[in-house]
Amino acid sequence: MNKIIFLLTTGIVAAIIFFVPPIKGLGELAKIIFFHVPTAWVSVVAFFSSAFFASKFLRTNNFSFDELSARAAKLGFVFVLLSTISGAIFSKLTWGAYWNWDPRQTTIFVLILIYGAYLTLRAAITDEKIRAKVSAVYSLLSVLTVPFLVFVIPRMYFSLHPSPISSSGVEMDSEVVIVLVAAVVDATLIFVRLMRR
Amino acid sequence: MTGIFFDAVTLSFGKRKIFDNVTLKFDCRKIFGVTGANGSGKSTLLKLAGKILHPDSGTVNFPDNAQIAALSPEMKIYDALTAVENLKFFARLRGKILSDEKIFELGRRTGLDMKTFGNERTENFSTGMRQRLKFAILLAVDADIWLLDEPTANLDDTGRENFFAEIQAAKSEKIILLATNDVAEAQICDEIIRLPM
Amino acid sequence: MKLFGSRCDCVLAIVRKDFLLNLRRRATFAAMMMFALTTVASLSLSTGGAILDEKFLAAILWVVIFFAATAGLSGTFDDEAQAGTLSTLKLYGDAQAILFGKMFVSMLSLLALTIFILPIFCVLFDVNVEKIFLLLATILFGLIGLAAAGTLTAALTTSAKIKGGLFAILLFPVTLPIFLPAIRLTEISFTSAQVDSSLLVVIGAFDTILILASSILYDYL
Repeated sequence: MNKIIFLLTTGIVAAIIFFVPPIKGLGELAKIIFFHVPTAWVSVVAFFSSAFFASKFLRTNNFSFDELSARAAKLGFVFVLLSTISGAIFSKLTWGAYWNWDPRQTTIFVLILIYGAYLTLRAAITDEKIRAKVSAVYSLLSVLTVPFLVFVIPRMYFSLHPSPISSSGVEMDSEVVIVLVAAVVDATLIFVRLMRR
Repeated sequence: MTGIFFDAVTLSFGKRKIFDNVTLKFDCRKIFGVTGANGSGKSTLLKLAGKILHPDSGTVNFPDNAQIAALSPEMKIYDALTAVENLKFFARLRGKILSDEKIFELGRRTGLDMKTFGNERTENFSTGMRQRLKFAILLAVDADIWLLDEPTANLDDTGRENFFAEIQAAKSEKIILLATNDVAEAQICDEIIRLPM
Repeated sequence: MKLFGSRCDCVLAIVRKDFLLNLRRRATFAAMMMFALTTVASLSLSTGGAILDEKFLAAILWVVIFFAATAGLSGTFDDEAQAGTLSTLKLYGDAQAILFGKMFVSMLSLLALTIFILPIFCVLFDVNVEKIFLLLATILFGLIGLAAAGTLTAALTTSAKIKGGLFAILLFPVTLPIFLPAIRLTEISFTSAQVDSSLLVVIGAFDTILILASSILYDYL
């Protein structure tokens, strides 16, 4: 698995540098989008994996699920930070400001808060049996907010994010889409690899 | 009531294994004494028997409809409530409404004069008086399983006689577990389980 | 399976007990009220005279309610754990009855808090409430969710080593789906703008989810 990830990552990096045309009017640095989108994707995947393992733990009382849930949350926290920073840089290049509470920025910010709260909770409880139960319950409680936020937030904040598939069809060049999808797959594989450590 | 069954119960606190693959049976109509050095797990055994704590592996079983009452130094009563309010509250949690006569009777049986102290807040009570009130709650609730953790510590001689008489009188229809290192308390037990260190 | 009636009786007994305790030990309740008063007063003093727009006012109201609630609700279980009564309560009381009893108590103290702070807020910030019923409905719906999430969160933080701040950190993300629409609706109630009633439905639906989830998840604790 290590080899596949290494080859795929090298291939994608090479493709981004040499193959993908510069994004219109934004320059080379805007290619950070190829980093931003996959990390954002993984931070969401990690969030749901953490909740999934939490529910597994509560049903089986098997502590290895608690470990997996915690690891997914820790990885998710790293990925969500990387994604937020890269997103802020892209935002500055595209819209002129690092932060503007656009719906997706708001959602990812909430994700940072939840991850942070979850990890603080784990750090605050020393008894490992209680910690496992309590953090699993919080993980499941926090996952409930997501569908509501997805519904509520777009009504509260005006969006700047490009929607990749608009009514007139796909806006991006096909090679950009291919590299982006490959990068998302690659990031997911990296996440799975790190989970198996 | 048939009994409480421990089947291959294992429990550890951190790295310390308190119980390793323990199989036990506590029958009805007997008083079981649990003795052992400090830290040998006397209180823990009682908590396991009452399903207040759950084992890491193995099972503890007793009939589904069996109710539990306990007397333990860890379990406190409400300081800001009066003796009668405490008594009525805990009885009501088990669906029992206490009449005034019943309250006086419980006071008489536990040696706590309800006429004088009934309407006084328990924050002004001595340790022994609180213990008497806790015993009155135990009697009021009238559960099937009694878990008594050092029930007569802090009591004077007449208090102890009272308690012993009540416990002896109740044993014909209950399962009684008594954790103690006190010789007099151990003497009223029908069987003694000595926990190894 | 216990009868519904006996559980209700148990819930009532707990509500009555906590009411008595709060009456005799007023510290937590007083702290919550004074916290709300202090924050409203400090904000009003520091913005004195400035004309604040409705969006900002609505946000202030909910931020004050949130932080006063954390001061009031964080000890829901922990106060009893510290006093040593929680284990007795858990032994004699049915778990679901304890949860719902505590939830009711939280709801009642939040209601008392709002009844106290809302008029003061309106006077100090010179708020003109255009749609009083919308405001009351929003607050009621918001408080239900806050009480439900707050009760479960309080149960989670009982065994935590650090208390200060942890409760607020945990509660905030979980109650965001209430706050965002509640702030918008509160803003609308201060103006003559059109009511977006779907937001009220969102809060109501989330309240229901929170109550059900608390009930299910509490059994695992």
